[in-house]
Amino acid sequence: MWRLNKVRHKAGRQADSLEELRLKRRQQEKDLRQARRDRQLVSKRLLLNEDEDQSEVTMDADSGAQHVVTLFHKLQHSGPEKEVHLKALSKALRDPSAQLTFIKQENSMHLLVGLLTGSNATCRLQAVRCLHELSHSPHTNIAPACLPATPYLLTYLSNQSTKFTELCLYTLGNLCPESDVVQEKLLAQGIIPALANCIENQRHNLAVVEAAGFTLSQLLQAKDGGGKIIPMVLASSLPSHLLSVLTPDQNFGLAPAIECAWCLHYLTCSMQDNRVLLAHGALSRCSSTLMSLGGAVAEGNKEEGMELLICPLLRCVGNLLSSCPAEDLSSQVADVSIVVTLCALLQAYMQTQTALARESAWVLNNLTAHSSAFCSALLTFNLVPGLIQLLPFSQGINIMILRVLANIAHKKKEYCVQLTHTGLLSGLCATLKMADKDIVTLSMDVLFMLVVSSPQVAEEL
Amino acid sequence: MLQPETARLLTEGQMLVKSSDVGNTQEEPGLSEAEEGNPFNFTPQLLRLHRDHQLFEDGDIHRHMYLQDLYVSETDDKTTLSVSEFACHISGCSAVFSTLEEYEHHYNSLHRHVCCSCRRSLPSARLLDIHIQEWHDSLFTILAQRQDMYQCLVEGCGQKFRTSQHRKQHLIKVHKYPPDFRFDKTKKDRGETKRPQQKDTSMEVAESVCESEGVCEVMCDVLSDQPEHGESMETHVSEEEAARTATSAITEDHANLSAAAHSAENTSSQPLKPQYSYRVPTNVCFGHGSVRGFRGRRGRRK
Repeated sequence: MWRLNKVRHKAGRQADSLEELRLKRRQQEKDLRQARRDRQLVSKRLLLNEDEDQSEVTMDADSGAQHVVTLFHKLQHSGPEKEVHLKALSKALRDPSAQLTFIKQENSMHLLVGLLTGSNATCRLQAVRCLHELSHSPHTNIAPACLPATPYLLTYLSNQSTKFTELCLYTLGNLCPESDVVQEKLLAQGIIPALANCIENQRHNLAVVEAAGFTLSQLLQAKDGGGKIIPMVLASSLPSHLLSVLTPDQNFGLAPAIECAWCLHYLTCSMQDNRVLLAHGALSRCSSTLMSLGGAVAEGNKEEGMELLICPLLRCVGNLLSSCPAEDLSSQVADVSIVVTLCALLQAYMQTQTALARESAWVLNNLTAHSSAFCSALLTFNLVPGLIQLLPFSQGINIMILRVLANIAHKKKEYCVQLTHTGLLSGLCATLKMADKDIVTLSMDVLFMLVVSSPQVAEEL
Repeated sequence: MLQPETARLLTEGQMLVKSSDVGNTQEEPGLSEAEEGNPFNFTPQLLRLHRDHQLFEDGDIHRHMYLQDLYVSETDDKTTLSVSEFACHISGCSAVFSTLEEYEHHYNSLHRHVCCSCRRSLPSARLLDIHIQEWHDSLFTILAQRQDMYQCLVEGCGQKFRTSQHRKQHLIKVHKYPPDFRFDKTKKDRGETKRPQQKDTSMEVAESVCESEGVCEVMCDVLSDQPEHGESMETHVSEEEAARTATSAITEDHANLSAAAHSAENTSSQPLKPQYSYRVPTNVCFGHGSVRGFRGRRGRRK
């Protein structure tokens, strides 16, 4: 279970100064961006024990490796002290070089699997902990070594012990993105029905739901994408479960909804045709959740981490809209005041998270492209002046807003007249002089539509 | 208050301009089928974004930072918003600005009151009128042989003189103009001097004039070899640049305006020799005569 506060406390405890932390973080961000460019963006999660801290000092490499070998030997021979040794092993396996050493020991995985499936419940827990540490390894040859354990991990997903299930799930989630081989095996072993059952049966246990969501999101990011995995997921009962988790729980927080929303995003953006999801009511579910979140943001209740949920929801709505036939739009997105939400999000996140503002504008474009109702709503709710004020801003903002305004102007002549009354002409006077050719072109298109719409407009000019 | 360009758009939009290069994307001159109709062909489009789309980058990074426990609440890192920059769209002028005010100052200083025959920019409407009259009006030339035609440049003075030299004297003596003021040269010099550096310096002229604090400069009927000194407030836009421009997103024909800026023979008695193929007859002038259009290389400035 991730509590966002935890991170800050951890940061505070470390010896690094704030500036060093910031530098480190910036570097990590840069690495992530490069990874994304290389289509290698993959993350793993490590579930910590309640009492520990990831930054705990571990022994140095050599002694760590040696320690692991010692423990391994002890485990092979000992009787009742297995639990103790296992616990020590799980701690020792935090260290990457120790992980490598362990894997190289003959029959090490066989031993672990034996303990995982044995009759001692405590040993099982510690064994899965060891596997979890291994799954989090930065070394690429460790994950395949864990494959013998996966069928058991999948079977255990239906057990009732929260901690144990969580560990199984996060371990599987860490293993998923490793390679095609791993994914093939997991699919064959039935990971999708297992996840579906898990969420269904443990719907009340939000920590497990979060973990399952994470695991599914890892699976869905696989490079094969639309090939096999996504159709299988769509055919299962997972979509409806994911949609049901979207509303954040007051007590538990946003985390499960965040994971499920990202799963939905990976589903919607990979398919050309989102009919299955539309049939499940995904568009209406996502848009209504977005509206309630947006309402909170507009009132100033920006709960921490909210943008982590808003972002995938925006994307789902945006891409679902692009698959939704125009005639179904009004039934799927019943409430036209979603435009108010979107404009509120645009304004709220302009400074802090420009990417979110950009995505909100994109959704507005898809809403207004083929629907007079939403265009009219933008005018009725008097949202256009606010949009015009954002026209100076680049990096995708003004071009998208111009598209939205052009969509409105394109519908009816009356809308053009109304647009003119909002002061759009002076906004265009500025955008027409911008350096970016696309912006000028679009501005000309809008201006043309306004001018042609009625002689009054021409006169006002 | 609307800029001339917008007013021009107005007329064009209503006229459904017929022009040879319509496309608002490609730059090939090959797209030269005379297409009848409307270059404004916006249609609303649903945009579907795939997983690896550029627009999604920041959000993805944020998500993965959260997964890797690198999430930080927003109040720590404020991003600076970036604002679109402005650019002068006059063909041949590559000036770029960060605020609208700077752009407007540039435009008003350099691109207003432009003579459509020789593309010089004059400081005021009155001086433009005088310039056109003295340089491009054949009737003036004829009348000037017999009567005092050269007006005093100071508004309200009203006096007229037989030659520009006389006028110059008058301006120095009576109106206390400095003797080294950039007066016009005599017409005689005009025909002889060519402009070799036209292409290269047209940009520099624009920029250097831009920098100088615009002393009110008299329009000259001079063609000097040093455009920078002789021309003062007059700016020349390179015609060649305009010709090289292939299509423009908007079908502004003025991109290849008739005015043969290159021609050294600016005597009004001679017809301007076209050096490139024009779509608009040479004797047609549109309003302020500023050349409009996008140059091909505009795209690289992003």
